[in-house]
Amino acid sequence: MIVANYLTAAAVFCAGLYTVLTRRNLIKIVMGLSLMEAATYLLMVSLAYRADSTAPVLLNPPRGQSPQQLAEGNVADPVLQNFCLTAIVIGVAVTAVFLSVVVRIAQHYRTLDADQVRELRG
Amino acid sequence: MTAQAALLPLAVVFPVIGAVAAPLLARVSRRLPVYAAIVALVASAVVLLTLARQVFSGRLLSHFMGNWTPVRNHALGIAFVADPFGMVFALVSVFIGALLLVYTLSELGGLGARELGGYAALFQLLLAALIGVALTGDLFNLFVWFEVAALSSYGLTGFFLERPIALEASFKLLVLTTIAGFSIFIATGLLYAQHGALNFGELHAALGGRLRTADVVALGLLIAGYATKAGLVPFHGWLADAHTAAPGPVSALFSGLMVNLGIVAIARLTLQVYGPSTSPILGVLMVVGLVSAVLGAVLALAQDDLKRLLAYDTVSQMGALVVGLATGSGAGVAGAAYHLLNHALFKSLLFLCAGAIVHRTGVNLLSEMGRLAKHMPGVAAAFVVGAVSIAGLPPLNGYVSLSLIHQGLAETHQTVPYVVLVVAQLITVAALAKAGWLAFVRRRPDDYKWRARLRPGMAAGLTGLGVCCVAFGALPRLVLDRVIGPAAGALLDAGAYSRAALGQAARSTSPHIPFTYFAGTEIAATGLSILLGGLLVTGYLRSREPLPVRLLRSAHNGSVNDYAAYAVAGTVLVVTLLALA
Repeated sequence: MIVANYLTAAAVFCAGLYTVLTRRNLIKIVMGLSLMEAATYLLMVSLAYRADSTAPVLLNPPRGQSPQQLAEGNVADPVLQNFCLTAIVIGVAVTAVFLSVVVRIAQHYRTLDADQVRELRG
Repeated sequence: MTAQAALLPLAVVFPVIGAVAAPLLARVSRRLPVYAAIVALVASAVVLLTLARQVFSGRLLSHFMGNWTPVRNHALGIAFVADPFGMVFALVSVFIGALLLVYTLSELGGLGARELGGYAALFQLLLAALIGVALTGDLFNLFVWFEVAALSSYGLTGFFLERPIALEASFKLLVLTTIAGFSIFIATGLLYAQHGALNFGELHAALGGRLRTADVVALGLLIAGYATKAGLVPFHGWLADAHTAAPGPVSALFSGLMVNLGIVAIARLTLQVYGPSTSPILGVLMVVGLVSAVLGAVLALAQDDLKRLLAYDTVSQMGALVVGLATGSGAGVAGAAYHLLNHALFKSLLFLCAGAIVHRTGVNLLSEMGRLAKHMPGVAAAFVVGAVSIAGLPPLNGYVSLSLIHQGLAETHQTVPYVVLVVAQLITVAALAKAGWLAFVRRRPDDYKWRARLRPGMAAGLTGLGVCCVAFGALPRLVLDRVIGPAAGALLDAGAYSRAALGQAARSTSPHIPFTYFAGTEIAATGLSILLGGLLVTGYLRSREPLPVRLLRSAHNGSVNDYAAYAVAGTVLVVTLLALA
């Protein structure tokens, strides 16, 4: 089951990368990057998973298990999940900057085509 | 661990506080946020200097956030480790950052309150990130500082929102840096999933012995990601554009300090975490460095925009620096650390000169400049100091660091890289000679539309950096023994760094770096590169653009898709080379 997660993450990542490399619409490029980002989250959460584990919350453990047992290793890895949270926060900020730049480009150049927006070259 | 080490986080905290307060202070008084920023940086410098003495004597200090010290060599808290190498970079960042802010007050002091507040906030955030990178001993924390630096650089690049090219540059920077961020993020996750560790010391212990495939793939992704920040070929698409669009002090900040973030991270990871490095890793770095050195120099020679020329030269200098790291020998690594310091000085100086010229005349292109030496003798003198430093002429600092890198290559018997590096050097000489000739000497009708005059702050910035260039070139023995020797020692002593990162007492040794100022081969190499560089530039200015240069320039077609494709291809290449070797 977890292999399916890895495959999905890889597929979504490649779809996003394909978009970034081939589409010239600036909004589509941003969407492609968002897809890649989502794929990395899926990868991290899947890496954190251990067989038959529960959420890494040690308060109120599930019936029949003590916090001690949970801490011994039958929980998903909380650090990788924290990676995801941090990256989501960063991702939101970056996407906001991205979109504001795209809006300003659209205002100045009256286009969203990346090929029309290349004064700086050579 | 000493009580004083607990001061380490303050070096980052001051600029962060300044950054948060800046937009608020701007409401009180227009220029207050910039003054406050200078105060914050000075405070940060005081903190670093109180620790510097111990650190440069070889004693590595470490502090764990929230005092979560490691238990049985497992670290949960984020470690801040002060080693001489990181300390050099942190101090350089703080001092040059403060100087650039003084300069800013002169050049951009006329901006409105909102602009100055935002500018001071982003500037300090970027500097905080640089200091954080220099001090952190934790892989994920390194990624976070990378992202902090990235976010503030997006803002600074697109700072003049009314300039369309600034927006274009900002978009390219965003796309490439975001891709780099993914590769670093995935690599960090992979390493953690493999070893359950993020602390550099713990990782170093876990990676000891044979590297598994996942470790190597992770290293490839990390190198590719941080190389994007360092502007190494083929990850450099954003660099020239971002510099062209930004105002003078911001270009100086990017080129002098921000690109070094990538170098510091690569040096730490390859030498201290994965080190003592094995040949395939150093071999890949060597190739990347040489390619960057040559292509950057050629592209610089071909530019007509002064700032773009300097920006491509940064690519070339970063390449030379990585070559120094890749030698893995004492002299080479010391040369790289020395060059990091020197490059920060002379490239900031040159970008401030370029900024002053644009500020005074409003002209960007070399083809429209000329005879500026007559009108702006001070700027001309500063430019000559910077250019001669890069060219590697004896009394100035570039000569010392380049000689050390050459010495490292000679010690490890790598003749081909030596020759390639000298070729890159002669093309660099040609590029700078071209810039100096066209801008300052060439005859041109006197029809400049003079704009604002130069102010004392700008003169202070130029003088300070120029004097440092001369001092670091004239007193190499002192700098080598006190500062750079310990830095190289810490980089090469992976064990000591790893013990320090785990909170144990550690001392790194300081190797004696033999350096004779006027060694025969060095004088010969310098003379040859100056001579051939001079011939090259006269030939180049008279003839049409040669085919290889034209092809190279047409590859830099400004398309963000293509630049992303180069970066991805480079990442795949680096990972494959490392995995196969």
